[in-house]
Amino acid sequence: MRAMRLIRAMALGLLGLAGLAACRAQAVPTPSRWSQPAADLSTQIADILGPGQAQVTIRNLSTIPPSEIPSVRKLIEQDLKAHGVLASGAESANSIRITLSENARERIWVAEVVEGSETHVAMVHVDVSMASVSTADARMVLRSERIAGLSIRIGGLVRNDPILAAAEINGHFLVIYPDRISIFSSAAGVWTEANTIMMERQLSRDPRTVLAANADGGLFTAYMPGTQCIGNYSLPMAGPSADSGWSVRCHASDDPWPVYQSGDASSATPLKAFYNSARDFFTGIVTPGIGVDLPPFYMAVMIPRAAGGAALLISSIDGNVQLIENGAMRSVAGTRDWGSDFAVVRSGCGAGTQIIASSSGEAENDSLRAFEIPALEALPASGPLTLDGTVTALWTAQDGKSAFAVVRSATAEYEVDRVTALCN
Amino acid sequence: MARTRPHYGGTLRVETAGDPWQHPDGIARRLVYDGLTQLDSDGALRPALALTWESDGNNHRWQFRLRSGVHFHDGSPLTSAVVVASLTTSCSSECPWTAVKAVGPLVVFTSDSPMPNLPALLAGNAFLIGSGPMGDGNPTTRQGTGPFQVTGFNNGVLTLAANENCWQGRPFVDAVEIRVHRPVREQWLDLGVGRADVVEVPAEQLRQAQQQRLSVLTSPPLVLVALQVADSGTLANVKLREAIAAAVDRSALYNVIFQKQGEITASLLPQRLTGYSFLFPAGRDMNKAQELRGGLTSGPLTLATESDGAMQLAAQRIALNLREVGFNVQMAPAGANYADLILRKLQFTGIDRAASLEQVMRSAGESGPVTEATPMALFKVEQMYLGEKKLIPLLDLPLACARGSRVRDLHLRADGTPDLADASLEDVR
Repeated sequence: MRAMRLIRAMALGLLGLAGLAACRAQAVPTPSRWSQPAADLSTQIADILGPGQAQVTIRNLSTIPPSEIPSVRKLIEQDLKAHGVLASGAESANSIRITLSENARERIWVAEVVEGSETHVAMVHVDVSMASVSTADARMVLRSERIAGLSIRIGGLVRNDPILAAAEINGHFLVIYPDRISIFSSAAGVWTEANTIMMERQLSRDPRTVLAANADGGLFTAYMPGTQCIGNYSLPMAGPSADSGWSVRCHASDDPWPVYQSGDASSATPLKAFYNSARDFFTGIVTPGIGVDLPPFYMAVMIPRAAGGAALLISSIDGNVQLIENGAMRSVAGTRDWGSDFAVVRSGCGAGTQIIASSSGEAENDSLRAFEIPALEALPASGPLTLDGTVTALWTAQDGKSAFAVVRSATAEYEVDRVTALCN
Repeated sequence: MARTRPHYGGTLRVETAGDPWQHPDGIARRLVYDGLTQLDSDGALRPALALTWESDGNNHRWQFRLRSGVHFHDGSPLTSAVVVASLTTSCSSECPWTAVKAVGPLVVFTSDSPMPNLPALLAGNAFLIGSGPMGDGNPTTRQGTGPFQVTGFNNGVLTLAANENCWQGRPFVDAVEIRVHRPVREQWLDLGVGRADVVEVPAEQLRQAQQQRLSVLTSPPLVLVALQVADSGTLANVKLREAIAAAVDRSALYNVIFQKQGEITASLLPQRLTGYSFLFPAGRDMNKAQELRGGLTSGPLTLATESDGAMQLAAQRIALNLREVGFNVQMAPAGANYADLILRKLQFTGIDRAASLEQVMRSAGESGPVTEATPMALFKVEQMYLGEKKLIPLLDLPLACARGSRVRDLHLRADGTPDLADASLEDVR
């Protein structure tokens, strides 16, 4: 018996591998996911009709590919037969009209069972699930990896709150939303929400956040409009506990926010910038002063220069990208299509450090692309990496080697993608 | 085009053919007032003036905890007492609740029957919260907590200024000017020459707007056009009401009057929400209508609409349909207080099927709660209600507006109105 099971398992495994290979080549029917709803609907139909014959018709008003309909039909007919209901021709007095339908939330399969002049309705629902990823390639390749599990589902629906910032610190994923900080713990490779700290504060229309952690991962500071939150980590008590170990305290604050500095561009005194909470941009005032009057800006990073030293790169609110170097501020060419946010990554490829910026071109979805700025022009260092929506936030990860992008999909769901640059 | 962050500043110029304060969905109401709850652009329920809410086990009692630190435009604080006073004024009868009370920071609703959909219903435009008068009178005295506050009304232009202390964040634009009672044709002309930024596009003119290459934002179907049929007097006989339902030619309304916009329907909720709308047959059946009417005489019937324009044309077409099967139908003036048949627009919002169904049924005068949740159970509720033929669904229509080139990030709210607080202007620096 065990040997039989083993052979069957191996056969199934081979079939699975063959199926996987076919999946890569083209979309193929996956009838097994229809087994349950087919069985449920057949049971309901049989309860109405009892054993006998009926003409079965199926129409598809859903997004199920037409190629899968024969499989669905076969499953339903098999299940009906198991209940004593046999599919027959048009001569039958009974008919079963099955409609594969859907609404915005779920698929619904409906059977109209017609017995003479009477029509009875049976209905089952099928969860809709869909997923897609994309990558791009060039001499340097950007790769994105979705951080799974950071979406909070309530009643089967994704709670579409904007994600402002996120960071992986001390084995936890900290995610900042407009009204709360959620701490996710990893269980079996999936992030699940461990605890949430609500913040009751005045919101803003285009909120921003900078999340900074210290080197040992025992402390983080979240800079938000008008508010600063400090998180401390202490090992949770032994044994199973829902507590993540993080305690977070928030207070009103107008302190300047830290400007990201690439590891190879760090200066002795970290640069900080004052933030206008009522208008959602940095005022242009930085500390310590750098000897140049900066315009208001959305984003600033310190980047290393080929000749040594560091320069400040800002995206000013008038849409220009400016480089501040040696006491002078100059526009950077080749940035016309950049979004307001960008991130610096130390890939080790090419010049060593690249700027990842978002753009959209004429496309519906945004893309990310790595650039280098050897002089005063941004030169593409990678091909565009098309994302599944629009980029609403982009920043450098704690390790300095990758970036995080918050992507808002067409269905208004927010996801965090980790973006890394790989040498080609 | 780079997706840069939005700019603050500037004045957004909006035009409307109607009254901006019209209850419940005048365009100014959502700019000035907030509700206890709200729906996001996808129709999901979110906290608004209430931060949290909970019910007892059987939904007979709900308590809503107010967000702290919220102030009305005049600086007075939002309190549970003000909320209760506002709700009592806006809903004096046929409310989803029996009583509403202020208990400390809580607003407590109680009812003899369960209110499973109360949080979703409170997101509707009918239950916005204001301090002081929200109805007729001087618009500048209207105090809300919303993103804009009234600053004046001169020469047919209502002026609103950004609420710097709005709990949802200050809106991007500094001001909104709403030119009222402007015919749609003139609105489009103003948009064309840059005198307006956001204008209205009625469903029946969507095709024309697209042909004129206006930048149109269109909602999914949110408005149910339905014929409300009196169940008293000459129409007390359900067979006559069934005959009327069978006689109406929805295709003609859809193809001719509403220019193939929206969807033909015979159900209360659209296919997008339920997935079972097709179960209600929407075809015209003259033979059935004549058979049902048989020898029954109904006497002269009056038919009215709640509004004019396309609805008036649709009503005339329905009158023609009914005359074809032997009914004696006379048109009553638009907005008539009583008629045997009234062509109405009923709005539903959100993605909560049960709440949307209750919303539509309440609009049609049915006061009971919808406690069912599954598609099958909701189908049975619809089937039973529609079987009485007191309401005959005809079409589901979208809502739409058009925007000028300098407006960015303009989206439609779940109720189909433009979300002006999140819009910004491209030419502001």
